Amino acid sequence: MTTAAETPRKAEPRKPSQLQDVWPLSPLQQGLFFHARYAGASADVYTAQAVVELRGPLDTAALKAAAAALLRRHANLRAAFRQRKEGTPVQVIVREVRTPWEEIDLSAHPDAEAEAARVADRERARPFDLAKPPLVRFVLLRMADDRHRLVFTNHHILLDGWSTPILQTELFALYLTRGDDSGLPRVTPYKNYLAWLAQQDREAAETAWRDALAGVDEPTLVAPGAPEPPADAEPGRVRRELDAGLTRALTDRARAHNVTLNTVLQLAWGVLLGRLTGRRDVTFGAAVSGRPPELPGVEQMIGLFINTLPVRVTARPGDTVAQALTGLQGRQADLLPHHHVGLTDIQRISGVGTLFDTMTVLENYPFDPEAAGADLGGLTMRDVGGYDASHYPLALAAVPGERLLLRLDHRTDLFTAAQAERIMDRLERVLHAIAHEPDVPLAHVDVLSDDERRRLIEDWQGETAGRVPETITARFAAVADVDPGREALRTPDGSLTYGELNKRANRLAHLLRARGVERETRVAMLLERSPDVVVATLGILKAGGAYAPIHHGYPQERVRWAVAEVEAPVLLVDRTTHHRVAGLDLDADIIVIDEVETAADDTDPGTDVHPEQLAYVMFTSGSTGLPKGAMLTHRNVVDLATDPALRDGAHDRVLVHSPHAFDASTYELWVPLLAGGTAVIAPPGRVDAAEIERLVVDGGLTGLFLTTALFNLVAEERPEAFAGLREVLTGGESGSAVAMRKVLAACPDTRLGHVYGPTEATTYATDADMRTALADPSETTPVLGRPMADMRVYVLDEALRPVPAGVTGEAYIAGSGVGRGYLNRPALTAERWVADPFGPPGTRMYRTGDLMRRREDGALEYVDRADFQVKIRGFRIELGEIEAALAALDGVAHAAVLVHRDAAVTRLVAYAVPSAGSVLDTAALRAALARRLPEYMVPSAIVGLDALPLGPTGKVDRRALPVPDLAAAAAGRAPENPGEEVLCAVFAEVLGLDEVGADVSFFDLGGDSVTALRLAGRAAQAGVELTPRDVFTHQTVERLVRRTDADADLGLEPLLRIRDTGTRPPLFFVHPAGGLAWGYLQFQAHLPADQPVYGLQSRVFTGAEPAADVASMAADYVDLIRTVRPHGPYHLAGWSLGGLIAYEMACLLQAEGEEVGLLALIDSYHGQDLGSAERDVLPEVLGAIGMDPAEVAPGGEPDVPKIMERLAARGDGLSTLDSGDLVRVFRAYQAGIRQAETYVPGAYRGDLLYFTALRNRPAGAPVPAEHWGAVMTGRVAEHPVDAEHHALMEPGPVAVMGPVLATELDKQHANLTNPQAGRTAR
Amino acid sequence: MTNPFEDPDGTFLVLRNDAGQYSLWPSFAEVPAGWTVAKTADTRAACAEYVETHWTDMRPAGLVEAMGG
Repeated sequence: MTTAAETPRKAEPRKPSQLQDVWPLSPLQQGLFFHARYAGASADVYTAQAVVELRGPLDTAALKAAAAALLRRHANLRAAFRQRKEGTPVQVIVREVRTPWEEIDLSAHPDAEAEAARVADRERARPFDLAKPPLVRFVLLRMADDRHRLVFTNHHILLDGWSTPILQTELFALYLTRGDDSGLPRVTPYKNYLAWLAQQDREAAETAWRDALAGVDEPTLVAPGAPEPPADAEPGRVRRELDAGLTRALTDRARAHNVTLNTVLQLAWGVLLGRLTGRRDVTFGAAVSGRPPELPGVEQMIGLFINTLPVRVTARPGDTVAQALTGLQGRQADLLPHHHVGLTDIQRISGVGTLFDTMTVLENYPFDPEAAGADLGGLTMRDVGGYDASHYPLALAAVPGERLLLRLDHRTDLFTAAQAERIMDRLERVLHAIAHEPDVPLAHVDVLSDDERRRLIEDWQGETAGRVPETITARFAAVADVDPGREALRTPDGSLTYGELNKRANRLAHLLRARGVERETRVAMLLERSPDVVVATLGILKAGGAYAPIHHGYPQERVRWAVAEVEAPVLLVDRTTHHRVAGLDLDADIIVIDEVETAADDTDPGTDVHPEQLAYVMFTSGSTGLPKGAMLTHRNVVDLATDPALRDGAHDRVLVHSPHAFDASTYELWVPLLAGGTAVIAPPGRVDAAEIERLVVDGGLTGLFLTTALFNLVAEERPEAFAGLREVLTGGESGSAVAMRKVLAACPDTRLGHVYGPTEATTYATDADMRTALADPSETTPVLGRPMADMRVYVLDEALRPVPAGVTGEAYIAGSGVGRGYLNRPALTAERWVADPFGPPGTRMYRTGDLMRRREDGALEYVDRADFQVKIRGFRIELGEIEAALAALDGVAHAAVLVHRDAAVTRLVAYAVPSAGSVLDTAALRAALARRLPEYMVPSAIVGLDALPLGPTGKVDRRALPVPDLAAAAAGRAPENPGEEVLCAVFAEVLGLDEVGADVSFFDLGGDSVTALRLAGRAAQAGVELTPRDVFTHQTVERLVRRTDADADLGLEPLLRIRDTGTRPPLFFVHPAGGLAWGYLQFQAHLPADQPVYGLQSRVFTGAEPAADVASMAADYVDLIRTVRPHGPYHLAGWSLGGLIAYEMACLLQAEGEEVGLLALIDSYHGQDLGSAERDVLPEVLGAIGMDPAEVAPGGEPDVPKIMERLAARGDGLSTLDSGDLVRVFRAYQAGIRQAETYVPGAYRGDLLYFTALRNRPAGAPVPAEHWGAVMTGRVAEHPVDAEHHALMEPGPVAVMGPVLATELDKQHANLTNPQAGRTAR
Repeated sequence: MTNPFEDPDGTFLVLRNDAGQYSLWPSFAEVPAGWTVAKTADTRAACAEYVETHWTDMRPAGLVEAMGG
């Protein structure tokens, strides 16, 4: 054991005999001990202080003696606190301590009061070292001759607030005796309390607390996510003295129901807290004296007894004040015997952890200053202050008296003084209600003032625009009539005027009516984005029907379901989407809109349309396992389209790019088209940042909407893309102030609107101008702003009361945009579209499930979802829908789905419990889900569990679901070449993972359309060109790298298509040592026009390591040429190393039974010692790509920038080489020399065409006819060329060789065609 | 935070307005103006069942009239 006795401190050496005793810590002391150590020496909020003013003549020596006597009498004041090696803290009582006493004379000080306060502050700020007793200090300030101030500072671990007055009383009793305590009653030592604690039934106490907190599954926090309080922060403090009348009424109320004043205060705080947190079941802390009545002498003991214990107030809205009071008192009384359990233990028992962040204390200290001041030898004393810090965001203290004094301590970093005052106002209103209206249900106790209520319900709503309900069709017809020549639609291919659009829609409408479409008939649509979408949409409305767009992401089964669900007599498709519905068992007629002959009649069908009539049905995810169709009316749409905020010209030319089945299409189509503007239709497919920038300019756009994710991406990649717009709208998910600021800075003339709204309330219910909202640089949250015209948003608590500003509640939307309901779901509609208690009689409000709060200025702020709805890629998803679909699969008993978010991506993860006797095949389950759910709803991972973890209330404890091991999912084949390596790294970075295997799908790891855009951007930075479409098509690194072979038009692909037209058997040129086949490009001019020509190039340019030898390259290339030419005859040619490879290929092909026609070698030799080890290949490489080594590599050191500059200046293909390619040429060249040295040719059966470079021919170079003739069976036809080996691909030598090849090919062709005319003439 | 409309143990009313629209309504809250009680306090499931069987035409009454029934 380590104690003060055994390890004497250097400063104050102590003898072992100084150790008097070693005690355990009470649970509360333990809590403080650990907290104080955790907080460190700098921030000791557990320093308490009492300041007493002494008037009259003071005997300072007597007072000091009294202080010393106190320390002598009370062992626990001499405690040091230490931790044993194994972790247990102990208090070590030492026999003697020095009395920390300081006297300061301020009598001559010009501002003694201020100085006294400063001294008190300093004392408080000076931390105590828990290991150095005593943890108390006395400072006596002499203010004047007959006026002193005693500042008593202590660590809270020694004493609680109840002890201080006892200590004071004793101090002044000892003062009178000059420190002689012989006349004083014996001290009841704190040790007795520790002994009592040890005897308590721990288990019973834990059970009592567990029962008391049963069903509490989350903390009650007024400041959730609040940071640790700043180191030296002192709480702010507001005081309120209730008038005597209210004080009396409260006391009477307590007496009438036989409860304590404390219970009355606690109920009031509980009710208020419910309103501040929007909850009915709240928990907060309450300070209790903690002095067990059965312990003799406990009332006069000093020490730490006080405890903070949870008080739970379950305010059932129907309960009256009286019922709530007696209920609370009863529950509190049951817990009285268990007040000794430490809060930390209770929080552990509850399973919640931190239970609350507010507390209350009734300061009924057993100290009567008047009685104590009776006779102190002419001295009178009075408390002038004290300090007992709380670290809670809010702490209410009440001091009883004729006028009840309330004090609200608040953390100033979380609440302003004004907010604290307002909380005090509300508390007073609650107290008033409790005092005077005992029979009123708690739900009706109001914390709002009339002014506040009016602001919340009336003032902070959308303007009343005074619009008459209208229809889309009438409004469109009116606009089209005004100027039929105006451009209605703009597409990449041209445009459509209002007159043309009107006529085409009319013709379709006649056709639809002929097919049975009437008023309120739903018509399903599955169309690629094009003008036809608009024609169809308008045509359906003109026929009286409502359009029901189907998600492109729906699997076939769900498409069938959706068409049946809307009872559509007609399904509109186009040529592109037709195949998606082919073979489906549908009751609907399928009309292929771009093939069908519409009616000749292009006049308006004149169908009656009512503003309340259905305009469209849009599917959103449903928690029961199937989507639900939100029904929106003509009036809903017209009121959005004519909203004054969207009608200032900024939305006259709007980009149409959102999926039609996504409610943003309402904005994109109808806002421009109902105002004579132009809908600019983006080409099919997803748009990226570059595309948006192009469309803004080319389309002359004035406005567009982007989902949050896409907006953030564009903001990151090219924030200036919006600069030409008058307004860009964004919304859908929690927005990023950082991204918005980027755009605002890059587009100074563009407005940025933050819009919010569910599909059920017609796309946008609120908007906010972000240039104004983000003007304050300290603003970090993009607000949602105010409701749009004729729209109202109420933020309500669990009892459907408006919550005060700053308090989170659930948003309900009322007004003209609120839709009709869910198609075929009356009960679900009645649950979500509910009676509006605040609007005109008989109207409804839509319950959004979004948690929001209002700022002090009325602006709405999004907080979270109240349920399990999430947004993935802008799509609303009910996790319940996925859970239901998963649980419905064979072998699955239970399922849970949740969303894991990290910095990089949002992933859906499913958890499945197998049914009895089943074994889960998670891959098969995932495949089954993919057939039933849209792809954006298919979880990234399915995790098998034995059981779902349940919380205390029996609900699935989602927090306890294991985080899926994505590292395992991401593991796969390691990258095998530099190309894969680069792309694997980019995958990992974009997905926020450490590593990603080359064969793992991007989408299985949580990638989505927006992350795919990001991937393309990052890949480009890493030198890999790919489009988001490539990512969707190829998905894995492996396939993306291979894709480069086939798709990329860079000239670096292994099979270079020099000329891929023509009927003859192709000629394949094999690359020389440098790896590129570009030199052969010039042969085209000399070869017959119908002769296909290909070049084979080294795979080092597409990421592979150089091949091991000629044989492996030949085998590889034979496979490659078979992809374009499955069978012979094959014509092969190659320069230098390429000749060797071509030779080897010829042998291989013959071995495989294929016919080889022409085999041409251009100055190739085998088995030569080329000095690969010591040879300086750099000049040769540079020479091979047309560089002068003397210029670009002076002294043998390549000057890469200069080389790149020279390359870039060239007009040919070499100018596209980058420095990486240059290195690859070099590496291929080095490898090629080695490969040529080691190559041993086999026996080719046939003739050989041979070109010999005559210039600078090394002495002793082999004679080709002998060199090759020795290994093969045919004839070697040699053609000398007057050039150096390295210059053979210059135009001159090529002009010599080309005609020879052409002649030879002609000959071959003639030989082939004559005997086998029937086969090769095709 | 439990929404009062989601409380599985709560008691509810079914309200109906002049448009023939139905609303679930927690029984502790005052019935808003313009709505009448179509079904008195019952479980959530029973109220949902009531709405499902009684609200057979989700068009508002004004539209039904305009469309001639």
